[in-house]
Amino acid sequence: MSWLFPLYLAGAAAILAPILLHLRRRPPQDRVEFSSLLFLDAQTPVPVSKRRLENWLLLLLRCLALILLALMFSRPFWPSEQSATASASRATLILIDRSASMRREDLWQRAMAEAEKLVREAKITDRVAFAVFDRELKPLWTFDEDRQAPANRLTALKSRLEALSPTWAATHLDRALIAAVPSFDSSTATLQKRIHLISDLQEGAKLDALRSIAWPAEITLSLHRVEAAVQDNLSATLAARDTSDESARRADALVRLRLSNTRDSALRDFTLAWQNAPMAEAITAQLPPGASRILPAPPNATNATTLTLSGDKHDFDNRVFIAPPQPRTVRIHFLGKEATRDEASAPLYYLSRALQPTATLAPQLTADEKLPAQPADILFMVGNAPAEGVRDYLERGGFLVVAPSDASLLKSLGFDVTITPDTSDDYRMLAEVKTEHPLLKPFADPKLRDFTKLRFWKHRIIRDARTPARPSGLEILATFDNGHPAILSARLGKGTLIVLASGWHPADSQLALSTKFVPLLYGWLAAAGFSHDPAATLLVGDSLPLNAAQAQTITDPENKTHSLKLGETFTTSQLGLHKVQSAENTQIFAVNLSPEEGRVLPLEPAKLVEYGLKLSSSSEPQNESSTTDQRLTASDSEQRQHLWWWFLIGLLAVLLLETALAGRTRSALAS
Amino acid sequence: MPSFLDPAALMRIKSLELRAKVVVEGLWKGMHRSPYHGFSVEFSEYRAYVQGDDPRYIDWKVLARSDRTYIKKFEDETNLRCQLVIDHSKSMKFGSQGFTKADYAATLAATLASFLMKQGDAAGLTTFADGIEEHMPPRNRPGHLRRLITELERPAKAAGTSLELSVGQLADLLRKRGMICLITDLLAPIEHLERQLALLGAMGHDLVLFHLMDRAEIDFTFDKSAHFRDLESGTERFVDPHLARESYLQRLKAHRESIQAATDRHNVEYHFCPTDQPLEEVLFDFLSARQHRKSKIINHKS
Repeated sequence: MSWLFPLYLAGAAAILAPILLHLRRRPPQDRVEFSSLLFLDAQTPVPVSKRRLENWLLLLLRCLALILLALMFSRPFWPSEQSATASASRATLILIDRSASMRREDLWQRAMAEAEKLVREAKITDRVAFAVFDRELKPLWTFDEDRQAPANRLTALKSRLEALSPTWAATHLDRALIAAVPSFDSSTATLQKRIHLISDLQEGAKLDALRSIAWPAEITLSLHRVEAAVQDNLSATLAARDTSDESARRADALVRLRLSNTRDSALRDFTLAWQNAPMAEAITAQLPPGASRILPAPPNATNATTLTLSGDKHDFDNRVFIAPPQPRTVRIHFLGKEATRDEASAPLYYLSRALQPTATLAPQLTADEKLPAQPADILFMVGNAPAEGVRDYLERGGFLVVAPSDASLLKSLGFDVTITPDTSDDYRMLAEVKTEHPLLKPFADPKLRDFTKLRFWKHRIIRDARTPARPSGLEILATFDNGHPAILSARLGKGTLIVLASGWHPADSQLALSTKFVPLLYGWLAAAGFSHDPAATLLVGDSLPLNAAQAQTITDPENKTHSLKLGETFTTSQLGLHKVQSAENTQIFAVNLSPEEGRVLPLEPAKLVEYGLKLSSSSEPQNESSTTDQRLTASDSEQRQHLWWWFLIGLLAVLLLETALAGRTRSALAS
Repeated sequence: MPSFLDPAALMRIKSLELRAKVVVEGLWKGMHRSPYHGFSVEFSEYRAYVQGDDPRYIDWKVLARSDRTYIKKFEDETNLRCQLVIDHSKSMKFGSQGFTKADYAATLAATLASFLMKQGDAAGLTTFADGIEEHMPPRNRPGHLRRLITELERPAKAAGTSLELSVGQLADLLRKRGMICLITDLLAPIEHLERQLALLGAMGHDLVLFHLMDRAEIDFTFDKSAHFRDLESGTERFVDPHLARESYLQRLKAHRESIQAATDRHNVEYHFCPTDQPLEEVLFDFLSARQHRKSKIINHKS
């Protein structure tokens, strides 16, 4: 049997107290009245030599209670075999942080030195592996390699670390730790497992994923923090663009930045400027410690793509890259007369006014009674129009919106339907709208779901020729209040067909005049692959949003070109603008630093404990730390076995016996 | 020898008067025609009446026969005058058998008084501790016995024993000669008492000493170590009976021997009375001792 706190065993020495108490007789308590002390001499109470133990059974119980108490506090346990062997040799995994924040000062060099020290300290019987991590874990030397050539580990560490430098990626400590657990393979099963984490352990390190796993009890984490001398830091990240300010038409005026300052920072003044811009156009202001502020970017006279923040020592997070505005051209064709563009009653009039250029889209609306030579991205038709080539267009991936007046077009597309005008005088409203359908996605927004003000004066009844109740092959997206379909859709080849039972122009309905029209059009544009939403901010480590259907060439910020084949993805590793060239167009993507990486204040180790990690202190010297390890393993065993409970039960039983016996003795004495 | 009443059983009778009666009657019946009664008056002589004599004592038969007035003269005009002197000190409050030495002393005194008064003798009572507390001269009147018993039942007041002072005071109080029965536990150095006993003896008093002791005092029957508290002085002393018994018994023996020697020297009749000794036996011893003493005196005179 072993003890977790053997010092408490000394408490068993307390049994001396009851022994002495039992040795002590109790003459002074007894008083006898006697007629005269004439013939009696005073005597000293009971000489020591004459002492003898009284109530030995009671004494035995009391001593036993004290011994049990001492045993209980010393937390006994049966040492397991595992802990015995584990104390012999260990499996150590060294994780080195190489996220962007490690670029500060000489943190990377210190991290390498710390790793080297740990490898040197390891015994030859120990298993050592090491890996670096930022967003992902990258093993450099595995346990398998170490088992085969344990003597080479230091050389390997040196050579492999020298080839590396901190990246620009964020610190995903959670992913790294989760990925590190399986690297303890079967060869390390009997060893004591420990992960040495060499990192600046900044507040911005991600830990959330650790909640999703139960940390293995046998793996302890030892922290080796490398801290920068100066923790004060100003950081700039891209904030959401301001879309509310309609007057700011310039794309760069929409750019907003979030500037933050670390807590207790001595820094206040900062300057924000476009790269190479004159100082006069820079913003100079103050930011209190611990505060963060959203600022619009200064005027961009030089069309620069990099905003630079200055005012602090650590410049790794002081640049924000912004891709120049590059609206996508959408070719939209209206099958009808171009002359009607300015007629207030014509459908084209409303289309041309609804499809205005935005920061991300540049619609080009053409009108002709024929299909254009170069296929349009979206085709609109109202009434009867020649059907030649429409089927081909659709099958090649076109997007057609049609409000037919008869069934000829649909029949030519293969839908056996009849279309008859509704003859009732009353207007119709939309009754059922499938807002969850991708083609009606804008109506998923509750703000746009009120259809009560949208009236349809005229509509056509679209029916299946064979089963009049439902048009076959067409999916009903919305119906009128009389039950007839209002909007239908179908996939035809690669293309999409949308059939409207009523036109949007005022002769048919109020749709073009309603607030629903523009969202509906842009929803269809998005469905056709021309999203109006600005591209999501790309962070280092993200994949570029590429069209997998095309072969592309990527030029990274260092002007290296990468040719991608079909279906290949490109994961960014550099900050800056990435130029993606394909056969059709050229896109520029700005890749920025993760905003979390700028939060460089040290993370409390207690936070890691909250996530269930088992920490051991790294500041202790090696021999003490091994003692701590043993204690941790012992503590595990002790907690599993809970032997102290039995001692407690025994103690209570002895105390009960003692109480009963003492009570009986007392009553016997009294009687 | 008749079987006597156990003192412990006797002491359970609450009334002291009844207790005395039980003892005396038992003894009286046992004695029947006992030769011991009669230390009453004895005819001494006739003498011619002179003016001033009490006419009650004129022998009318002689006057009728001889026409001369004679007065019958007795040796003593009264019966025996017995003064019971009871120790009322706090040491008498000790008792190990359910009653104290004071109880025993009171019963003994009441029994003696009752016995004497039944014979027509006069009995008085004196209680003392560190001085005389109460003093009732010897009388033989109806109601005197009751008063005497009432006085005996009164609890002791004083603390210590001062035999020397008390007996000295007693000598002043008792001018007439008579018998003095001193009932005490004698827990004081005998040297102080001896002088007073000699004085009383010289005054012609007939001294009887009843020395009362509890069985626990005689044999020192304690077996547990304890703080022993002196009932008189209140002082405490730690005593281990196993260690102290031997010396105690030796000293007690020496004390008793010195008492015995002193009483012998001064012609004092000494009765050692353990309190577990039946009262009848004490009384019987006392009477037989008196008888023996009387016959000795008569022989001595003749």
